[in-house]
Amino acid sequence: MSNFDMSNLILDISDLNIGFSTYGQYKQVLHDVSLQVGDGERVALIGQSGSGKTVTMRAIIGTLPVPPAKITSGSILYRDTELLTLNKRDRNKLKGTGISIILQDPLLSFNPVLTIERQMRDVIRYADVRLGRKRSASEHQSIMQSTLRKVQLADTDRILKAYPMQLSGGMRQRVLIALSLLNNPKLLIADEPGTALDVTTQQEILTLLNTLVADEGLSLLLITHNLGVVRETADRVYVMEQGHIVEHGTLEQVFATPAHEYTRRLMDSVPPLYGKRVRTVTNEHDVQSAIQIDNLSKVFTRKTGLLRMQRVNNIAVNQTTLDIHHGDIFGIAGESGSGKTTLARMLLGLYEPSDGTISFNGDSVQALAGSEAFRRKIQIVYQNPGSSLNPKRTVAQQLSVPMIFSGERKTAVASRVKELLSMVELPESYASMYPHELSGGQKQRVAIARALSVKPEILVLDEPTSALDVLIQNTVIELLLRLRKEFNLTYIFISHDLSLMRNFCNRVAIMFRGSICEQGATESIFSNPQHAYTRALLSSIPVISDEEATQKPTVTAAEKAAVLATSTAVNQ
Amino acid sequence: MSALIPDKPGEAAHNAIDTARHLSGGQMAWYRFSRNPAALIGATIVISVFFAAIFAPWLSPHPESAGAHVDFMNRHSAPDAQFWFGTDNVGRDIFTRVLYGYRVSLGMVVGVLGVAVPLGVVLGLVAGYFGGRTGFIVMRFTDIMLAIPPLAMALAITAVLSPNLINAMIAITLLWWTWHTRLIYRIVRAQMNEDYVEASKLAGASHFHIMFRELLPNCISAISVKITLDAGFVILFGAALSFLGLGIQPPTPDLGTMVSTGSEYLPEHWWEALMPGLAILYAILGFNLLGDGLRDMMDVEL
Amino acid sequence: MIWYLARRAFSLLLVFLGLAILIFVIARIVPGDPARIALGPLATANQVAEMRTEMGLDLPFVQQLWNYLSGLARGDLGKSLLTSRDVMSDIRHALPATFELVLFTIILQIALSIPLGVLAAVYRDTWVDNVTRIISLIGVVTPGFVLAIILQLIASYHLTFFPITGRLDTALNFKADTTGLLLIDSILAGRWDVWTDALRHLLLPSLALAAAGVGQVMRITRSSMIEVANRDFIEASRAYGIPERVITFRYMLRLACVAPLTILGLEFASLIGNAFIVEFVFGWPGIASYGVRTILHKDLNAVIGVVLVSGVFFVVMNLFIDVLLGIIDPRHRMREASNT
Repeated sequence: MSNFDMSNLILDISDLNIGFSTYGQYKQVLHDVSLQVGDGERVALIGQSGSGKTVTMRAIIGTLPVPPAKITSGSILYRDTELLTLNKRDRNKLKGTGISIILQDPLLSFNPVLTIERQMRDVIRYADVRLGRKRSASEHQSIMQSTLRKVQLADTDRILKAYPMQLSGGMRQRVLIALSLLNNPKLLIADEPGTALDVTTQQEILTLLNTLVADEGLSLLLITHNLGVVRETADRVYVMEQGHIVEHGTLEQVFATPAHEYTRRLMDSVPPLYGKRVRTVTNEHDVQSAIQIDNLSKVFTRKTGLLRMQRVNNIAVNQTTLDIHHGDIFGIAGESGSGKTTLARMLLGLYEPSDGTISFNGDSVQALAGSEAFRRKIQIVYQNPGSSLNPKRTVAQQLSVPMIFSGERKTAVASRVKELLSMVELPESYASMYPHELSGGQKQRVAIARALSVKPEILVLDEPTSALDVLIQNTVIELLLRLRKEFNLTYIFISHDLSLMRNFCNRVAIMFRGSICEQGATESIFSNPQHAYTRALLSSIPVISDEEATQKPTVTAAEKAAVLATSTAVNQ
Repeated sequence: MSALIPDKPGEAAHNAIDTARHLSGGQMAWYRFSRNPAALIGATIVISVFFAAIFAPWLSPHPESAGAHVDFMNRHSAPDAQFWFGTDNVGRDIFTRVLYGYRVSLGMVVGVLGVAVPLGVVLGLVAGYFGGRTGFIVMRFTDIMLAIPPLAMALAITAVLSPNLINAMIAITLLWWTWHTRLIYRIVRAQMNEDYVEASKLAGASHFHIMFRELLPNCISAISVKITLDAGFVILFGAALSFLGLGIQPPTPDLGTMVSTGSEYLPEHWWEALMPGLAILYAILGFNLLGDGLRDMMDVEL
Repeated sequence: MIWYLARRAFSLLLVFLGLAILIFVIARIVPGDPARIALGPLATANQVAEMRTEMGLDLPFVQQLWNYLSGLARGDLGKSLLTSRDVMSDIRHALPATFELVLFTIILQIALSIPLGVLAAVYRDTWVDNVTRIISLIGVVTPGFVLAIILQLIASYHLTFFPITGRLDTALNFKADTTGLLLIDSILAGRWDVWTDALRHLLLPSLALAAAGVGQVMRITRSSMIEVANRDFIEASRAYGIPERVITFRYMLRLACVAPLTILGLEFASLIGNAFIVEFVFGWPGIASYGVRTILHKDLNAVIGVVLVSGVFFVVMNLFIDVLLGIIDPRHRMREASNT
């Protein structure tokens, strides 16, 4: 469906050079960037954070701060208009009406203190002022209503009256899209659309974008790091690395035969969901139980009302039974709010279960929690090492805390710190460094070393790679696999990333609204999912090849409606 | 009109700048500090004030003026080569008295902050770390203390206790800790959301360890900025007390008392109130500039 | 919103009770016998004992506290040793003057500091920014009493238009008995001569009182404007073509004024404290100068009364700001409603 036609461009960037000067230093950020978007075309600009893709976007929409930024050469043509030399008045006329944007994080992109209605009305009203148009308030109202319906939001009156924080993430993303459409733009720039959302919601947003582009005759420039998203929403792609466009072509060309080494690395770093690149992990140990979770529930009670008398119950985990074997890499998958984190916190003795038990071969967690024996049993690696490491303490200080409180002698601690660093493949000299001196991947290695310092048997891995750059993720996964083998570890891997889980876990459980809807060996769950939710989840994952896409399970509309919350309800 | 543009040009620009400089956090901070003229001026002023206070006996041209000295020959003489800041109503050299006055002021700063800061910080740590009922009680108590106008309270206390340096210090200390408690409480509550606190708990660390070894280091930059700014305000506060006759009593040279006595001879003997007044201003200015500079350098919010 | 207000009012009551107890306890644990202090060193032991009985100091502590609190509930703060009148009536008499001064000062602070802070942020790193920075620095570092004296000096020699003491020219023969505030009562009575004279009297003391706060609030407004400018939604608004004027004044300022208003509320305690000096220097007939006089006379009942009233002032002011923040920022309202 690529209808790229050099004679009919809506956006034509050529040889754009942009630099920044701060602290008296000048550094070039974009190098001879050229990029074209044809009329009605969907183009993706792919790059990691810091590659310069955001600077490119800002230059197009005219929000680049000049200075410190400096556009040294190049041109940006919108149809036949040169944007870089256009006077301010005419430039402003194009904003929202010619080119419009959909920003990344659905919450941060809203003004938190104004209602949705006020924000939408302002966008329409000031466009009228710029264009010298006169329209009545009721006309504005009907534009808002119809645009909200265009993004498939039903309860428009309540949405208009709501504040951003009262809407769910998916609804906010839809409203953001509506905001960008209010003045009928021709070119839509989407910055990481839906990537902050759960996969099932993300899937809906991508479908919506595709529908809009087709129905409204829009052109789309998509800015993202997620190759799966690109495959579903782009006709042509540009790959950007450190301010250079290193490769471009049609989606089929680039994804099937990536020419540049950087593109290939990016493609390889995406864990495959199906196909021959998939790695199936097994547990070679005898099937011997390590953790028994029996009929476990957790109910949070919140008191509300003036005198705090009313109670609102929220069932986070509902009658869950699991048996985790020694040597397993047991994946617990689920979207946000599914209860997977609550379950992990109960395993670590941080939450008291409301009902049911967790035990390590007879020793209950509640009885053990806080004891030294318990710490030698189970430890955790958190999602974000930037948060789980104390920024003001050295690597050595942080590694030694668990040992000091297990009563180890000072000399033993010092030699163990060295040993731990070499275990996670970091040089000994890192012992005296502070976290900010390390890269994200190195920090996560330190966090893993700390978890292992008291030689636990079980590690809870709470999305240990999701805060890392995709190119780093694999190295951390390899390290974890090696450590498991060397020290006979059992992992409980909590994640929303099912593709990663397919290649890393030997058994998985899918959590859905506080309950486990399906569990079993990874291979069988992925090849033959039984529960409608599992199928909906798997089918929503953006994959990077047709081969994988065809193997994804199918899910009927009725099943989808039953398990997915496309709710338009406004929280009060 | 001009647009208020963001000061964060985007991640690429930041990476570009960071990789270009190859500076560690500390070096970067020092670079920012050294490029900030206001902070450098502040540091110079603060050093000069400390220098003056410590070496007052050696620096002062008329050391005898520090006490209850009387020299009727030189009453009310205007600033000249002999008396740089002029003399007061009993003929004492104001410059000398200013140098000694800094001793009293800085002594007060050390005394007040030496007690109030540790007290405030510990209460803030405890309230923030334990939260719940403990935090509620500590913070409500702090809120109530904050509602009392500090100067009114200090005046009342010194009046009842009889006015002198120690009582003035007690009165100020009694109220000063609340600000540190609030500040530390806020920082600690924010830090409690960081995973490292939970990680330390799971590592078996004691409450003491988490509060003083994990959380406290994350408060240090804010505390040091606050202390620097506080020093100026303690000087101001002490001077205000003695201005009303409720702080340090004569003949101890004190800047507030000097302004108060000097103001009786306004306007013809303007230097008698103005010089000590400017001396107070100078010290406060120094601490403020330095504090602002440190705040920018360490990027903390108070 | 009604629930929100009700909850705030309830917590106000608790803070007030806590404040009353705290001040009373401090007054009692401070060493020294109030009766002896009241009578001076020359009084005989008998006189002191009599005084103790009269002041109720021989009762058990809890009984004293109870008497004090129940007195307070009836609006009885005891007798002043200085004026031998009820402390309550003394305070009621002096309160309007202070209220007018403080209210005017706050209005002055907001009117000066927030626009200047916005200006400094918009013209960041230009001469405008530097000038406002110097103004704010002068405000922050100049001690209130030094500024008061300087203003008086200037007024007495160069700007004789401004009177240096008092609240109103006695020759005008005007009594403010509707609201107690001269600026309002004079309008109600149609006396413009009184209004201008009251304003002339008010300007210098309120300027001396406002300076420190203006400096601080200006800087905070500036930095919080810059902080808000970094938010994504501001970039989004620009991309949708919302005019810069609307973005600055309606979007950014609305969010950015949360921090300065909070600080204004917290700094209100120091403002009241500084009023003690400013009223003293300018001979302003308010509760602060009444406070200074009673403190110098070791008039304990009156001192407790004045400190208590100042505390109530602070608490009410902060309640007002809280409600204001609730109106400005819906999240503030909802957060309060959902927890604590």
